[in-house]
Amino acid sequence: MRTIRQIHEALEKKKISVVELTRDYLNSAQKSKNGEYITFCEERALQQAQEADDLLRLEKKVPWAQKPLFGIPIGLKDNLTLDGVRTTCGSKILDHYIPPYTASAVERLESAGAVILGKLNMDEFGMGGSNENSAFGPVGHPTHSDRVPGGSSGGSAAAVRANLCVASLGSDTGGSIRLPASYCGVVGIKPTYGRISRYGLIAFASSLDQIGPLARTVEDAARLLDVLSGYDPLDSTSSNIPPLQAYLASQSVPHWNRLRFGLPQEYFSGGLSLEIEKSIQNAMQWLESQGAQLVPLSLPSSQYAVAVYYLIAACEASSNLARMDGVRFGVRSQEAAETTDLTEFYQKIRSDFGREVKRRIILGTFALSLGYSDAYYKKACQVRRKIKLDFDLAFQKVDFIIGPVSSTTAYRRGEKAIDPLKMYLNDIFTVPANLAGLPAMSLPCGEDQEGLPIGLHLLAPPFCEEQMISVAQAFSKRGEGSVRGF
Amino acid sequence: MIELNEKLTCQVAHLARLELTPLEVKVFTIQLNEIIQYVEKLQDVDVQGVVPLVHPFDGIAFLREDDIKESLLGLDGKPKILQSAQDIFEDSFKVPSIF
Amino acid sequence: MDFEFEAVIGLEVHCQLATHTKIFCSCRARLSDETTVANIQVNSNTCPICAGHPGTLPVLNRKVVEYGIRVGLATHCQINQSPVFARKNYFYPDLPKGYQITQFDQPLCENGWLLVENGDVSRTVRIQRIHLEEDAGKSVHRTGFSLVNLNRAGVPLIEIVSEPDMETPQEAGAYLRTLHSLVVYLEISDGNMQEGNFRCDANVSVMRHGSSQLGIRTEIKNLNSFRFIEKAIEYEISRQVEVIRSGVGVIQETRGYDSSKNSTFPMRSKEQAHDYRYFPDPDLLPVKIDSDWIEKIRHSLPELPDQKRARLMNVLGLSLSDAELLISSKFLVEFFDEVVQKSLLVGVELQCFSKAAANWMLSEVMRLRKEDNIELWQSQLRAFHIVDLVRLVQKQSLSHIQAKQVICIAWKTGQDVSSIVDQEGLKQWNDLSLLEPLMDEVIRDFPRQVAEYRAGKDKLLGFFIGRVMKKTNGMANPPLLGELLRKKLM
Repeated sequence: MRTIRQIHEALEKKKISVVELTRDYLNSAQKSKNGEYITFCEERALQQAQEADDLLRLEKKVPWAQKPLFGIPIGLKDNLTLDGVRTTCGSKILDHYIPPYTASAVERLESAGAVILGKLNMDEFGMGGSNENSAFGPVGHPTHSDRVPGGSSGGSAAAVRANLCVASLGSDTGGSIRLPASYCGVVGIKPTYGRISRYGLIAFASSLDQIGPLARTVEDAARLLDVLSGYDPLDSTSSNIPPLQAYLASQSVPHWNRLRFGLPQEYFSGGLSLEIEKSIQNAMQWLESQGAQLVPLSLPSSQYAVAVYYLIAACEASSNLARMDGVRFGVRSQEAAETTDLTEFYQKIRSDFGREVKRRIILGTFALSLGYSDAYYKKACQVRRKIKLDFDLAFQKVDFIIGPVSSTTAYRRGEKAIDPLKMYLNDIFTVPANLAGLPAMSLPCGEDQEGLPIGLHLLAPPFCEEQMISVAQAFSKRGEGSVRGF
Repeated sequence: MIELNEKLTCQVAHLARLELTPLEVKVFTIQLNEIIQYVEKLQDVDVQGVVPLVHPFDGIAFLREDDIKESLLGLDGKPKILQSAQDIFEDSFKVPSIF
Repeated sequence: MDFEFEAVIGLEVHCQLATHTKIFCSCRARLSDETTVANIQVNSNTCPICAGHPGTLPVLNRKVVEYGIRVGLATHCQINQSPVFARKNYFYPDLPKGYQITQFDQPLCENGWLLVENGDVSRTVRIQRIHLEEDAGKSVHRTGFSLVNLNRAGVPLIEIVSEPDMETPQEAGAYLRTLHSLVVYLEISDGNMQEGNFRCDANVSVMRHGSSQLGIRTEIKNLNSFRFIEKAIEYEISRQVEVIRSGVGVIQETRGYDSSKNSTFPMRSKEQAHDYRYFPDPDLLPVKIDSDWIEKIRHSLPELPDQKRARLMNVLGLSLSDAELLISSKFLVEFFDEVVQKSLLVGVELQCFSKAAANWMLSEVMRLRKEDNIELWQSQLRAFHIVDLVRLVQKQSLSHIQAKQVICIAWKTGQDVSSIVDQEGLKQWNDLSLLEPLMDEVIRDFPRQVAEYRAGKDKLLGFFIGRVMKKTNGMANPPLLGELLRKKLM
């Protein structure tokens, strides 16, 4: 009993109550030694569960239409604010931060009936690809605990795979939903930029960040997307278009012979592990067997994507993190509290940032500095436009772009941690979607010899999540490479 | 091509109010130089006439109406915003002397 | 003023906009409690957005843009139809986000000008740019620590930057007064300098006469009264000249003004490196200002001070000084306009009437204002009072002194003029039957003067008029008396 549909059936048949369900998940989550959760909302969740049970008793059936996530236990990446509940962003500097408001996306989940179990571990402020950069300890891979689950939404992906929540919210700035989803073997979606409100998502890089769902099935992720999406007047960058009907799309079969799938030659020019390459090829063959057309294409600016991403993300982050100054929130260390010099005060407070965060803040500050800003920040923004244009042109020829999510499967903890640049290069397949604002997802499509999951990367034109979901659902139902543990 | 030296690293760190240990200064300078060397490839790209992209889509700003929303109070009747702070004095945020 | 050196002055004005809400959130923009004129309690006018909490986002207030466009149009600027907001990054306790949202590359307005009257000279001062930004919070300083109040954080500001076109402190003062009255006229700001609605920074440098090289400039910050601004600039100019003459040279720095010593002093700069790392704010999309909106705003602009002044002088025939005095207060000039409007209904000679009305407004009304210590709008005086009064005086139904009495009563009670006149029995003595015996009395009482007059001393007419006036307690009409007496004495 793991999917939303299955849970709703069980609730209606009175096989289980929401409170029991919630307790089950909380118990498993609290017992885990893999560090998926940072904070549990036990009392709060049980209260929500109790209210749900009361409503169910009254209505006698699950109010599916008004509350599509009725009674569903969900985890939130710990960079999403929840009024009155500690939100840390995986950082010591926010260790005791209690936000005075709730993120819009989270409010939508709660209005739709979801039960919030707790806050999930992540790389500090979203910076990292392995969840090894958390001040609250690393997260272990759900099936191979000596390996990384991916990041920065490591907790979000691992918790879903390990059945510590039904679904979770993550955030994706350069692949932070898709990479852990592929490493852990779950579905992870980054919607079009502006599709889901960022109000309450603690910002890493404002023009790249998006909230997205992680779930075991495409259908469940689609249901979450429907609830989360839609214009929010509190977020000027949210798009003023109707919310998604992704779940509905997941129930319809794609018109395969009208679909063209693009294969960027740059993604297949070596560097992929053999197993990943084979897995992607299998996927391509299957698509072809359904009647779809495979179209080779070129994204000439993709070789610059990582450089552009790291510069822009660092610049925006250096500015977004300036507000962590200990003045209006956060706990002051003794040193900070005792100093009488303002500069020292700031430095002492901000010494609670982890190493990777400091590194990126310095990079970003440098790239925006007088004399360097044109050569670095401005240049990166210009090349970003070229990258976007590549996609605009590509989508005139194809309906989707497919490829791998990563060149390897989940690696061992500590393997890449020493070399930041090496870590950055791992994002090569995922960052372009953020730069161009495109919707993208990771879909389980196989496993390697060690049983480590492989993810298929699907990219669609702006605001075409529904079409993407329809294809993803069909693919996931093809019978191969289904997620273990069902 | 610019190369970061330790002095520049320190200056930039100061701009960002980050205090680095001498070891961090050394290590960061090396690591950042590697990154900067990597991003140098952007200098080869011809961006003649290309307008920098800041937002993925060419949207326009949403303009809000001029309607007041009252500030929230905590349960103690004081402004809710004070609850998150550690050092409050006379309902103000206390900091070391600015001068 | 020195003749070897000339001064180059540019001014930056930060003006708080009188919208209901802040620029990027829905907290109040006005910081005094309108009912008690007390300041709103510390930090009670805040929300997660203006307090810079993590995860919050700015949303632009439409009215702020509208007000900015109004000022831009009124100063003949080009309006940028796609202005962009940028982040100005620096650390300061009253700057919650660690950056200020302002405008850098693409400000709202550029390349305008303001016509400034400085005594007899009028000159054009060019306006380089006008842009929108958010105000910071406020800090108060105690021994060893500072306290931050974020009530003001996020209040909308326009920054108006002039070109360095001014050469004297008086010119600077005149520019500021003109700009100030403009923003108040446009009703985009309360313009209350004591409350910090209208703040000025001055950039001052000097150069040798005839030189083409500009001197090093200093910035004098946080000047909040017109008088202090002029004095501060005056001091700074002479300080710079002295420093140059002594061979030391001017240091580029920020200075404050000490009014008790009437001198400027160096201030510690906020950001040592002055590297604000400006970049476009990714949380805010470019604003789209279409031509329709601009035209709509242009049509809604009220008549501006210099247009008013021109009309008062050219159409109504007032003197420059009278016109200036009237337009110095929006209420005063609108009251005056109402008087003129009403007078047209009763058929008067426009210029003659207007000058007389202006006279009454600027002498008697101003006097009553001072005496009673209340403003015109707080009194009972209305436009129709002035209309009736002036007409009666011009028709010679009331003497000047009688009219003064009437206006005083009308100011206090609001009673209409004719009922006051009846009530007080104030009819100017035009009745010949009453005047005749009095005139005869005077002629009888002063035979010597009569003889001198008849002999040719015409000036004595005034003497006779005066004596009759005395007998009538000032209630007779002097010109009329003059005519009658002349006839009698022939």
